Amino acid sequence: MKQHITKERLTHLMHEYVAPASREPVVRWMAFLSVFMVVGVGAALMVFIKGLVITNLTDLVPWGLWISIDLSAIALAAGAFSVSAIAYLLRKKELQPVAKTAVFVGFVGYSIAMMMLLLDIGRPDRFWHGFVFWNIHSPLWEVTMCVGLYFSVLMMEVLPIIGHWHPVEHNFPRLSARMTGLHRFTPVLALIGLCLSTLHQSSLGLTYGKLVARPIWYGPWSMAIIFYVTAIIGGIALVTFISLFSAKLTPKARINKQVLDKMAYGVGWAALFLLALRWWDLMGMPAEYVPGKTEALYILTRGRLAFNFWWLEIILGMVVPAIILLIPQFRRNEQLRMAALALVAIGVVAFRWNTNLVGQLVVFGTVPGSDVPIFTHYTPSLVEILTGAGVIAYGLLAITFGVRYLHVIDHGEGVEAPAEASVPAAMVPSSSR
Amino acid sequence: MSSKIDRRDFLKLGIATTATAAIGIGMSNTGLIPLRMAAPQAPATTKGPENPPHKWVMVIDQSKCVGCDLCLAACHAYNDTPPNISWSRVEEVQPLEDGQRVFRPMPCQHCQDAPCVDVCPVGATYHRYDGLVMMDYDKCIGCRYCQLSCPYGARFFNWEKFIGPNPDVPAAGTPEVERRPRGVVEKCTFCVHRIDRGLSAGLTPGIDPDATPACVVACTYGARLFGDLNDPDSPVSVALRNNPDAYRLREELGTEPRVYYLPAKSKEGSAS
Repeated sequence: MKQHITKERLTHLMHEYVAPASREPVVRWMAFLSVFMVVGVGAALMVFIKGLVITNLTDLVPWGLWISIDLSAIALAAGAFSVSAIAYLLRKKELQPVAKTAVFVGFVGYSIAMMMLLLDIGRPDRFWHGFVFWNIHSPLWEVTMCVGLYFSVLMMEVLPIIGHWHPVEHNFPRLSARMTGLHRFTPVLALIGLCLSTLHQSSLGLTYGKLVARPIWYGPWSMAIIFYVTAIIGGIALVTFISLFSAKLTPKARINKQVLDKMAYGVGWAALFLLALRWWDLMGMPAEYVPGKTEALYILTRGRLAFNFWWLEIILGMVVPAIILLIPQFRRNEQLRMAALALVAIGVVAFRWNTNLVGQLVVFGTVPGSDVPIFTHYTPSLVEILTGAGVIAYGLLAITFGVRYLHVIDHGEGVEAPAEASVPAAMVPSSSR
Repeated sequence: MSSKIDRRDFLKLGIATTATAAIGIGMSNTGLIPLRMAAPQAPATTKGPENPPHKWVMVIDQSKCVGCDLCLAACHAYNDTPPNISWSRVEEVQPLEDGQRVFRPMPCQHCQDAPCVDVCPVGATYHRYDGLVMMDYDKCIGCRYCQLSCPYGARFFNWEKFIGPNPDVPAAGTPEVERRPRGVVEKCTFCVHRIDRGLSAGLTPGIDPDATPACVVACTYGARLFGDLNDPDSPVSVALRNNPDAYRLREELGTEPRVYYLPAKSKEGSAS
């Protein structure tokens, strides 16, 4: 009898709450992401238990999909330091609310990167070794230190946002006050963030540029500069895109169109600058045969990576967005502007993927006088793809959560009051329907 | 809050920061602050020692190597390497003009200016007092950056744990070192355990088999020589003196390897 009642109540509850909630697109979207996350966690456990042998990484191509995701996440998280620096150090007041969005996106990006790295290293139990055992000559050590320190900076910048979260504010008012109080330090944190980010974003490029064994990467300057510049551009583009896109989907995201339009315009110029930089770097390479470098350049421009390079990176990632964002008629079209910003971010991801792979697909031979490059190949294994997808799903989930509950996109004044009719019915909480 | 910082405050802050840093650095030099973390494996330069007491060098005579892989079997057994890892490899390279096959054994080159030592984020790979490039398996985090940095492809990652019997034991020898754990990088050590053991027993590495790397001892053709370049009478010093055409791999990179190769010569002289 008792059981019968509980069952009945359950069904009742299901009908009352779960069913209407699941009809909301955002809930379905979050459930969809959660599935990926759960699968990703399972795949990650498999990696931890069985070791990296279940990946398709080899001694010749030791850095694969995970490192590419890690590089991309760090690049796209750079909006946090760039927007904060513009808002608080260059004192562009109108950008301060956008900095909040950027910091949250950056926090999510860096947590993605750290998860990927934890999976990728052979001894995850020794992740802390970089902080204790120093090799100050290694760019990777520098990256480890700065990413670790910068993550704590981001955490201090994100805590006020969480402090404003409704449940925290109501249930733990004193804790909430402590957390929101950290907001005082934002200008100082912006300065520290700028320093740390400049150091590690460029060192990430130097990580590749330092390798004398891989001629396509080798060169102390170009890699560091391009990594730094792509990070800033991709980061700002992503923050602008996420703000615009969220505002399209939900009234919970409130944007200042003028500010975002300015940012989009800036990204347009930046894309053009990036095009020049990338062109100078690659096309400035000597025309005569340089073993290893010539083959890698061939792979990039005409071989396996050609589609990625020409289409994703150059045309869709730089040329098209630059045209859209710099010509006012095109930029004023909301769809086009959003697409252009997303393309810039995708272009940066393609750049990271191409760069990481191109140096590994050609291994320079060792015979003096007769250099024989060996061509290697790499396709990520299912486990790598599932864990990568899981971590990315986590990122999207975190951003959705942030927009919906933490109000990270609240750019204040200048917002047209969202017309009630334009809000999709499904977006209105079921209780008010 | 930030807008309240005027020039005077800014200068004060700057001076205070500089002073703090100066005091910190000063104290670390006097040993008041034990910079233990940075100390042992982070010297001012990542090059090997300038004048080591022993300059261990391997000389590989390509005119004697027949590609029989006996050296590899010995290496696998003595260093207990998993079947999918071979610290040294024997590659067949371009044949001579008369069609004679040429082989090139490739151990770790133990570079004086080793890219791997330079880039290892935790200093898990380092130069020993005698300049040999070593691995600290307890420090290695398995990031595999050193593999990308090595111009000779001499570094290997333990993708899985090595369990089960070693196919080369006992036919080619018995293990003398511990198996490495999963998830760390390993590479040829020039059999430092044999060198050190031999030295402490008063033997001469390169001459006494018990003090010489296993691959050198195993080579029945005498294609591998080992010894101290500081000793003018060591086999390697003699060989390099007699063969001015000795070369090292990818010298243009400036890594200064410790492995020298004597080029293969066509056997016309011996045939006539």
